[in-house]
Amino acid sequence: MSWVNGAVSTTIIVAGLALAGYALLMTALNHRMNVPMLAAVGVLEILLLVQVGIIVAKLAGGQRPAGLATLIGYLIATPIVPVVAVFWGLMERSRWGPAVIAVAGVVAAVLMVRLHEIWPAIHV
Amino acid sequence: MASPEPSPSPSPSPTASPEPTASRPDSTRTGPGRLLVAVYGLFALSASARAGVQIATKFGHAPVAYLLSAFAGVVYILATVTLSIGSPTARRIAVLSCSVELAGVLAVGTWSLADRAMFPDATVWSGYGSGYGFVPLVLPVFGLLWLRYWARRPRTGETIVTSAEDAGEAAGGGVAHGEGGAPEQGAPDQGAEDVVADGRT
Repeated sequence: MSWVNGAVSTTIIVAGLALAGYALLMTALNHRMNVPMLAAVGVLEILLLVQVGIIVAKLAGGQRPAGLATLIGYLIATPIVPVVAVFWGLMERSRWGPAVIAVAGVVAAVLMVRLHEIWPAIHV
Repeated sequence: MASPEPSPSPSPSPTASPEPTASRPDSTRTGPGRLLVAVYGLFALSASARAGVQIATKFGHAPVAYLLSAFAGVVYILATVTLSIGSPTARRIAVLSCSVELAGVLAVGTWSLADRAMFPDATVWSGYGSGYGFVPLVLPVFGLLWLRYWARRPRTGETIVTSAEDAGEAAGGGVAHGEGGAPEQGAPDQGAEDVVADGRT
């Protein structure tokens, strides 16, 4: 099971950083938010929800990390990040909308590393 | 992930029709401010949530570090809210909180390196924010630059009013500047006096 878990985290890190790179390119080229960008964020969101599901399944299976409260906080915050970024970015009608998405991509990657630190059972 | 390649042609936008993106931001939360508020919001959430958990579960372990984290969280919340409001008063508070933040990251950064025993657990500001990619060190600098741009930029409209005194001279000295009422026009939302006040901070 752990290798699946690790594969999801690794995919999220790669996807998050790729999204950030794509979004920063959009900002550099003076593009605004568009449909392909929203689709890319949607893919990241699905991956994050899968990751949250895997961790919740682990918790439901009786395993507990040392910092349970922190972990639960991360489980709540993680899927919200891209959603908030999309709303905040769509409100912007300039190149700075994609810049917000870039932050969300980096944050998704960082959150995976932090989740692993909180609970090493979550492999990266 | 296979990101769609960015096409040079204008992509279909879900928000609105194509328009020049070079238009000036119309508040402190638009344009570059959009990014700034997003990052501030992120740090407001993470710093205060982390401090809350630490204080609630293991306060005795590193009280100084946790209280500093909580203080940092409050400063970030203040900066996020004031930058997104953007009124003259809010901008003054934002300048203050960004300044406190810069002073805090420099002071706590130095303190944490000098006296490691005081910081068995990291705060947002220890090591000059090294645990957070030095973003806490860079963020207040960009915040203050953004606020300075706002303090210095002229009000919307053709009359460039750099200060209330200049406006008075222009109004009193020249018939050509018959629209000496320009500062009054701007007064309901952001008056010329506020520009002066912000410029001094």
